[in-house]
Amino acid sequence: MNTKVLASWLLAGLVLIAIAIVVAPRNSYSNQDREQLLAGSSPHHPAGTDALGRDRMVRVCAAFLLSVAGAIVASAATTLAAAAVGTLAAFSPAFLGSVAMLVCDVFLALPWLFLLMMVRSALPLTTSPAHSAALTFLVLAALGWPACARAVYRGALDLRNAEWMLQARAGGLRGKQIARHVLPNLMPLLIPQFLICIPAFVIAEANLGALGLGIGEPLPSWGGMLLELDNSAMLLQTRWVYLPIGLLVLVLLLLETVAVEV
Amino acid sequence: MKPAVFLLQRLTRTIAIILLVVVGSAVLIRFAPGYLSDAREMDSRYGDAARAELSAEAARSNSLGQILSTETAGWMRGELGISRQYDVPVLELILPRLAVTGGLLLRAIVFAWTLALCASLIASVRRNPSLLWQTPATLLLAVPTAAMATICLLAGGGGPVLVMTLLVASRDFKFLDRILRKAWRDPHLLQARAQGITTLRLVQAHILPGIASQLLALATLSIVTALSALVPVEVIFSVPGLGQLAWSAAMNRDLPVLLAVTMIMAVAVTFAGMASDRTGEWQGA
Repeated sequence: MNTKVLASWLLAGLVLIAIAIVVAPRNSYSNQDREQLLAGSSPHHPAGTDALGRDRMVRVCAAFLLSVAGAIVASAATTLAAAAVGTLAAFSPAFLGSVAMLVCDVFLALPWLFLLMMVRSALPLTTSPAHSAALTFLVLAALGWPACARAVYRGALDLRNAEWMLQARAGGLRGKQIARHVLPNLMPLLIPQFLICIPAFVIAEANLGALGLGIGEPLPSWGGMLLELDNSAMLLQTRWVYLPIGLLVLVLLLLETVAVEV
Repeated sequence: MKPAVFLLQRLTRTIAIILLVVVGSAVLIRFAPGYLSDAREMDSRYGDAARAELSAEAARSNSLGQILSTETAGWMRGELGISRQYDVPVLELILPRLAVTGGLLLRAIVFAWTLALCASLIASVRRNPSLLWQTPATLLLAVPTAAMATICLLAGGGGPVLVMTLLVASRDFKFLDRILRKAWRDPHLLQARAQGITTLRLVQAHILPGIASQLLALATLSIVTALSALVPVEVIFSVPGLGQLAWSAAMNRDLPVLLAVTMIMAVAVTFAGMASDRTGEWQGA
């Protein structure tokens, strides 16, 4: 069994375990046990509770599912946008292609995390937790496409100049028909881009959350849970505070293994 | 095409990108749904009169044209506008922080390159990628910068330079290892090795000159990686640099400061890219 298959199975296993924990009766990420604040491991709370008495295991699992699901959706949106922009730019007149690439350069002229922080901070202060989660991943999707679009543009340009494409265009193939032939040929480029974006978005969400600009409470998020590490008194009380970072690193390693091995 | 004309074209494109970044940032922030909300309005320490003044100030700066004209006037005066948060010229805020951030970036990038280059030179001599070298780099890349900074802070060992060095070095190592591994497999190098030329001589005379243009492109990427890590690192370690200023400006919707920092970042990234492209072309020639 190769590394990629093993990583995929491990990821699938983690997702199933997380779903089982989150949907189990009486398990809710926002339930508070006010008798057991910052408690250690117990039969009721295998990974203890946080400062508000919420079950840490349920919250970590919910954060994992939310983060991975959000990153997958955002990555799909980014890849679609990049495919559309890159392909249209490559098959448009040269001037339009240059303008599209200039727009990409404008986005790429700023470090990604800085751009994310700037956009996310300009959003309303009073958004609901669900909206903040949707907005965070929407912003990630909206800002993640330029690098991917550049790669797609190069690939589509090569396809445009390929002999079979020249013959197809000379034969009078229309836009829709060309797209039907071009997109399957771009798949080897788009699939790795999609897979690479997933861990990148998970890390970006965690970094944004750690800066206080991520998903709002009480929704669980990696960034929100990493903020707990700031409290040294809490660290002395329970070592389970390190669970989110441990699981996050494991998930990212698995995601990167799947992406790189493609 | 004459080199001067080509350079002029690249310079014009770079300046156009920087201007578009600044105008685009202003548009993005102005039309963001939360632009007119102010964190200070939620602060109970502000009285009714102060809150009314804040609302009036927000309403005054409603039009995009007005924002841009005010900013341009501030830039023409050489003060880069007045900070909404601190009520002082933005230049006064930026200059001392620029030195702090510049020093941090320079040290981190130099240490990271030394570390990554040494590690990849040793690792790439072996035929197959070694887990001993690959695992730490992969592991470091999987830790979010904010988490790495927090762990270093808690452990009491290492500061902002260490975190940024580790981040940049692990990313650079991945690329350098691949580039060097490919370079070692070139037929002329295989023959040179077979003839007994020393590794040091091969690296100096054949490997490094051969991959110089790729190293320059990687140098640009290092700058972008380091700049990306700047905000979480400076915020967590309380380093009074540009990253911390940008974060504070973003949290308080201080548009003049945010635009000035944005421009500095854009200048750094685009000029680094332009310089590496240009030097790569000279190397190629």
